[in-house]
Amino acid sequence: MKAKIIIFALIISLVPLSNAFSQDKMIEGEVSLKGIWFDVSGKESGKAKFTEYRDLREDGGVYGRARLNLDTDNYFLNFYAGDFGYDTQYYKIDGGMWGKFKFDLFYDEIPHNITFDARTPFLGAGHDTLVGAPNTNVATWDTFDYSINRRQYGGGFKVDVIRPFFLDVSFQRENRDGIKPTGAAPGTSDDFALELPEPVQYVTNNLKVEAGYAKKPLFLSLTYFYSDFNNSNAGLNFIDPLIAAPEAGAPNTFSLPPDSTYHKGAFKGAVNLPFNSKFSTNLGFSRTRSETSIVSLISSGFTGKVDTLNYDFAFTSNPVRFLDAKVYYKYYKRDNKSDDPTGVANIFLSYNISTYGGELGFKLPAKLYLSGGYKYVKTERNKKGETDPEAILPFNMDNIYFVDLKWTGLDFLDAKVGYEKLDRDAHYRTFDSAVNPARRFSYAAQNRDTYKATVDIFPLENLNFGLEYRYRKIDYSDTILGLRSDKRHELNISADYLIGKIAKLYGYGDYGWIKFDQLQQQTEGLVTPANWDAKQKDITYGYGIGTEIYVIPKKLTLVFQHNYLRSNGNVDYTLDPVFFTAAGGAGLDGIGANNANIDISRWDDYALYSFKIKAVYNFTKFLAASIGYAYERLRYKDAQLDGYQFVNPPGGPVTGTNGAYLTGAYKDQSYKAHLIFGGMSYKF
Amino acid sequence: MGKRLLIILSVLLIFLLVPIAQNVVKGDSGYIGSEVCKDCHEGYYKSFMKSVHGKKAVPGSPVNKEGCESCHGPSAQHVEKGGGRGVAIFIFGRKTDPSTRDSKCLACHEASRDLPFWNLSKHKSFVITCDNCHSIHGAVPGKNYLKVAEPDLCFGCHRNIRAQFNKQSHHPIKEAFVGRQALKCSSCHNPMGTFDVKTMIKADSVNELCYKCHAEKRGPFAFEHMPVPENCLNCHEVHGSNHSRLLTRRVPFLCQSCHNVAGHPSQPYTKLHSFTGPATVGKNKFFGRSCLNCHGNIHGSSLSNHWLR
Repeated sequence: MKAKIIIFALIISLVPLSNAFSQDKMIEGEVSLKGIWFDVSGKESGKAKFTEYRDLREDGGVYGRARLNLDTDNYFLNFYAGDFGYDTQYYKIDGGMWGKFKFDLFYDEIPHNITFDARTPFLGAGHDTLVGAPNTNVATWDTFDYSINRRQYGGGFKVDVIRPFFLDVSFQRENRDGIKPTGAAPGTSDDFALELPEPVQYVTNNLKVEAGYAKKPLFLSLTYFYSDFNNSNAGLNFIDPLIAAPEAGAPNTFSLPPDSTYHKGAFKGAVNLPFNSKFSTNLGFSRTRSETSIVSLISSGFTGKVDTLNYDFAFTSNPVRFLDAKVYYKYYKRDNKSDDPTGVANIFLSYNISTYGGELGFKLPAKLYLSGGYKYVKTERNKKGETDPEAILPFNMDNIYFVDLKWTGLDFLDAKVGYEKLDRDAHYRTFDSAVNPARRFSYAAQNRDTYKATVDIFPLENLNFGLEYRYRKIDYSDTILGLRSDKRHELNISADYLIGKIAKLYGYGDYGWIKFDQLQQQTEGLVTPANWDAKQKDITYGYGIGTEIYVIPKKLTLVFQHNYLRSNGNVDYTLDPVFFTAAGGAGLDGIGANNANIDISRWDDYALYSFKIKAVYNFTKFLAASIGYAYERLRYKDAQLDGYQFVNPPGGPVTGTNGAYLTGAYKDQSYKAHLIFGGMSYKF
Repeated sequence: MGKRLLIILSVLLIFLLVPIAQNVVKGDSGYIGSEVCKDCHEGYYKSFMKSVHGKKAVPGSPVNKEGCESCHGPSAQHVEKGGGRGVAIFIFGRKTDPSTRDSKCLACHEASRDLPFWNLSKHKSFVITCDNCHSIHGAVPGKNYLKVAEPDLCFGCHRNIRAQFNKQSHHPIKEAFVGRQALKCSSCHNPMGTFDVKTMIKADSVNELCYKCHAEKRGPFAFEHMPVPENCLNCHEVHGSNHSRLLTRRVPFLCQSCHNVAGHPSQPYTKLHSFTGPATVGKNKFFGRSCLNCHGNIHGSSLSNHWLR
């Protein structure tokens, strides 16, 4: 709040500077006030989803925005302010002297509401110490909201007066406060689950300084970026109900993100060469250090340190009108130099990625543009301290080929088709790892094909129609156990049509189809390992239509919008029959389970439906009024959240792998909301 | 031999002299000045004068050169022929060669600090020209003279990205509006080109970009989760997802894609493991937030090599 007042005062103090402008100043602006009343029916979490990134009060309120632009031959000053009446507001002022310098100051807030009225058996949600012990009487639990608020403020200036040299400086601070869900396993991960409210009290400062030179044929810039991240809470302390005497009752700690500092220096350069060619480079080095406050890590002497190194070189040439050429090389290295002398934490990931490639583009007759290229990527990983030969990560070699063809031969049509192929080889370091049938998808060999086609049609100057289709298929060719395939279709259309001075029509339609195939093998609990397969399918489709009807041109406009989006996911299982008969088969034996009744039919299923109707009346060129009504409904169903229970099994005893104390994160996201709004705006 | 050489040299000389002669004939007389343009195109003239192109204080701005004709070329013939769209004048439109349109802008802007790497831009490769997105004459309020404000400008071509942002879990792009500092497409991407020639992100790596806003994820942690420092995109979508927290796939399957042969991650968790399901063991690995019910520090931990603390 203090920061908000300081920023606001700073901004207000700068406004009188506008008086310093000469008499040729041009002033424009707009002030608008809007009254909103809304009603949400649904459970508390639904209200959080409805206001996920916005700050609305159900009892209604009056909210406002303002814009002021001052512009002269020599100076400019712009002021934006918004969301008066909300808890979260924003202000921005930018100005300067044309061709000499620019500055800006800003303050911005945005909430992220996750779940309202969550519950915990502990006292102290939002703080670093949770007091008490879990109990099964949910009615006695404390309530709180899962919500995070980001407040960003800062400013900067850009100096051009020393042209062709330039200097940019910017600073930004972000305060993030709130609570988000996390979870811990008391005792071991094979026992009950304990969901906890994690306090978020972060402060991040970012400073960027860039100085350079920009005048043909040369561009040079040096950048320094500094960032520090400070977490007010090193850990979340709670009583682990499974810890036996003599330590029973002593607080246990869940570690929270450590404080860290980040420095980066970078050089960027470009030089124009003969034959319409250009050489560009980017060299960067960064160092991140973390400072832990966790006692056991301090005593073990842990130091968190990661360096990155990046080189980019690119040469482009357009020697003749019909040819574009590009070749490039990139080297990126992450070097984890963290140290842990006592070996408490001793697996640190380092990797380096080398990339080189080239592209050629041809302007062909009949307004055809053909481009194609090749890229090679080699990724090498190193896990410091890894002793398990099967766990040693492979290195990957990617060969990527692509071709695109664009045609603009007709005045009313553009068409584009493209294809990309990725062949990824995974080279495992040991015989054990090479013959292991299990593969981790992010490292596994894969063949990926991507096809895309786009058509844009504009038969009339005021009619546009676009269609886009993509198909992507990934086969994890060497994977026997793990993710084996990923296929997706995407079809998107959009259109808009301006009917003279009568109306504007617009709309879109989207369809998406995604399917994953995964083969697994359960080794634990069964005498003989048994396989199971899960095909996950996700179909999403939606449309939106809207119109603006100019009932009385330049006076009365009616706006109507309707959007619909539906997602339908499911999982089709095929399990080895042994799961249904043998003890230890994932708890499916002896309960009448079979391959016909275990499939998941509700898997992030939702339908989002909304419409809005609004009337805008311009009393004069400057004064306008609007009034409207909006309706929005989300129906959300999901196998993991339907029938939500805070205590599992209900009434206890909470123990074993069916047990859990949960807090309600993400439950009951469905809502139905009505909004009535009206406002006035004045432009000058 | 000498005669043949003389002929060749003469031909070359003619080819060299013809363009020079043409320029001499044209001279600068083709320029008529912006005030003449104003007579017929007052709206365009006003928007030009109001824009940064019309500021005399900006060195090298068009108003300090040939005014309207800095971009549209000499207009004397256009006037002589009685005007008309594209009649003896350069206009920005589909019928004009894309590289010629770009060259008008690049003549001044290529040397600026904002456009040093246009040569690397995917937009340039796909023959997307400056005037596809920018207009001096019809821009929306805000910086950069965009024809339409972000994100709608970008969604005009990137329809699949628009569809992703409509999904229930998304970055707050749609919640941004003019004047607000909040997240925009250009917060992460530089459409003018970066060294990431395909996605044009404003960083040397995906993770470097993500850590700008999510600094708490950068560690370095005592117990790293391998896919995290390598690439956030191993588990997260960038623009939007049907699954909360922008996950590419739903947990537990996402986790089981890698943790697939040992211990409880190797088990199938089915509909019967839901809150009301009859499964006799393993239900707390499925219901609620699934694996994350226990492995809360999945991005890295200071205490647990299984990210339980």
